[in-house]
Amino acid sequence: MKYLFIDTSNSFINIYIVKDKEVLNKKHYQTLKDMANSIMPLIRESFNEVDFKVNDIDKIFVTVGPGSFTGVRVGITVAKTISWSLNIPVYPISTLEYLACVDTKYNKIISIIDARRENVFTGYYDSNLNKIKNEELVSIDSIKKNEDTILVSYDGVYDSAVIDTNIIKLINKHLNDKSVNPHELVPNYLKKTEAEEKIND
Amino acid sequence: MNDTYILGIETSCDETSVSIVKNGVSEIATVVLSQMDTHAKFGGVVPEIASRMHIESITQVLEECLNKASMTMDDIDAIAVTYAPGLIGCLLVGVTFASTLSYIYNKPLVPVHHIIGHIYANNLKNRLEFPLISLVVSGGHTELVYMDKDYSFKKIGGTLDDAVGEAYDKVARVIGVSYPGGPKVDYLAHIGKDTYELPIPLDDDTYNFSFSGIKSAVINLVHNEEQRGNEIRKEDLASSFQNRVIEILVKKTMKAVKEYNVNNIIIAGGVSANLGLRERLTKECDNNNINLLIPDIKYCTDNAAMIASAGYYAYKLGIITDIDLKARPNFSMY
Repeated sequence: MKYLFIDTSNSFINIYIVKDKEVLNKKHYQTLKDMANSIMPLIRESFNEVDFKVNDIDKIFVTVGPGSFTGVRVGITVAKTISWSLNIPVYPISTLEYLACVDTKYNKIISIIDARRENVFTGYYDSNLNKIKNEELVSIDSIKKNEDTILVSYDGVYDSAVIDTNIIKLINKHLNDKSVNPHELVPNYLKKTEAEEKIND
Repeated sequence: MNDTYILGIETSCDETSVSIVKNGVSEIATVVLSQMDTHAKFGGVVPEIASRMHIESITQVLEECLNKASMTMDDIDAIAVTYAPGLIGCLLVGVTFASTLSYIYNKPLVPVHHIIGHIYANNLKNRLEFPLISLVVSGGHTELVYMDKDYSFKKIGGTLDDAVGEAYDKVARVIGVSYPGGPKVDYLAHIGKDTYELPIPLDDDTYNFSFSGIKSAVINLVHNEEQRGNEIRKEDLASSFQNRVIEILVKKTMKAVKEYNVNNIIIAGGVSANLGLRERLTKECDNNNINLLIPDIKYCTDNAAMIASAGYYAYKLGIITDIDLKARPNFSMY
């Protein structure tokens, strides 16, 4: 089985092409301004480097946020367009779970994504990626950590950075998920727009 | 000669639209999903909400368009997409979508400037005849453009400050008309009388426009009347404002027609839906034996049919880009 994994939830484009239990191709590209115009050339490059085409992919996985609103939209637009066009099942993955997918000796993983103004999106997982607590938007000061906990973020300002993601473990965990209709694949912003917050006040 | 089918994609502001146009002139199918009702609650377009709504519907809009046309992506010759100007988050959805389609189906990707699209909205009604003068009027643009052939644009004048649509929106707000204000001011103008004294905006020998003066005059007039405890006659003020604005737009357009010795005028942009402007320019062109082309009302607002029409001529001229196409929110076409 062949899989395409896309993550653009932060200031990186992460693309993985996986065949069964092996990562055949991996791209980790840092960009903030050029994400939308860099992603398709990178995907093309990835497929040029393996001996099959995008049409041969069996499943697409994509991180859906929380994260950078624009970044998340880039990855989702690509994933839903490929899924719809080629009729390939697509699976939404929480960006917090993607971050939490590191090989570690710790029992508890807290993944953290900057949400601006001293706030962060957090996800709590055990070492088998089981969710301990629902994703939430909290103040950075409210995070409590003890000895058996590791904090993971995109940029490694905490204990570990996403570069060490064990993508095979993550894909395996979601291999039997139900795919979503590509039309209905949308970001999980975990945050209303400022305009909506104001109008509700 | 084989027919050429262009798929157009438009997401630059608050309309998600996909269209298929044959040979630049025949609309096969168009789907437009307007977000206007959502944004009306906020008194104007909220960029982040607009971006969110584009991604929620973009593949469905394409599917609906293909179904309406009874076509598949294999029947399409090239994909044309609005890449400039517009709201960055909105443009990014359309550009990423178009680049992905271009890669998957191996179809040429054609970048189209939104205003060029508005100019080609006319081409869906009648084939453009050259040379022509185009009056471009919208919320972000007020320009006179000379074209001697397809895809050749020479700006001969433009606004020095506010765009005409922008002035309409501000006048609408100050006289208490809700968003979207432009069409409502146009409506009020038709039932009112031109009784207020307002200056004619930048009535000089150039092809430039200036609407900040008349806008301020309206604001000051409303404030002064309020202070005196006088009621504003909204309809009459709208009528007076609209008459001054249209007078100068028509006057400078007719002047350009004479000086550039052309026989064709077209109007482009959202304000081309303004009934006052349409009536006045029609009358003026009839009197002077000038061919006037005005887009159908449904093509005056944002739509992908105009992008597909413009995209056809761009494609024929070899204006094709790789899938690294960048959205350009402030890029000028000139």
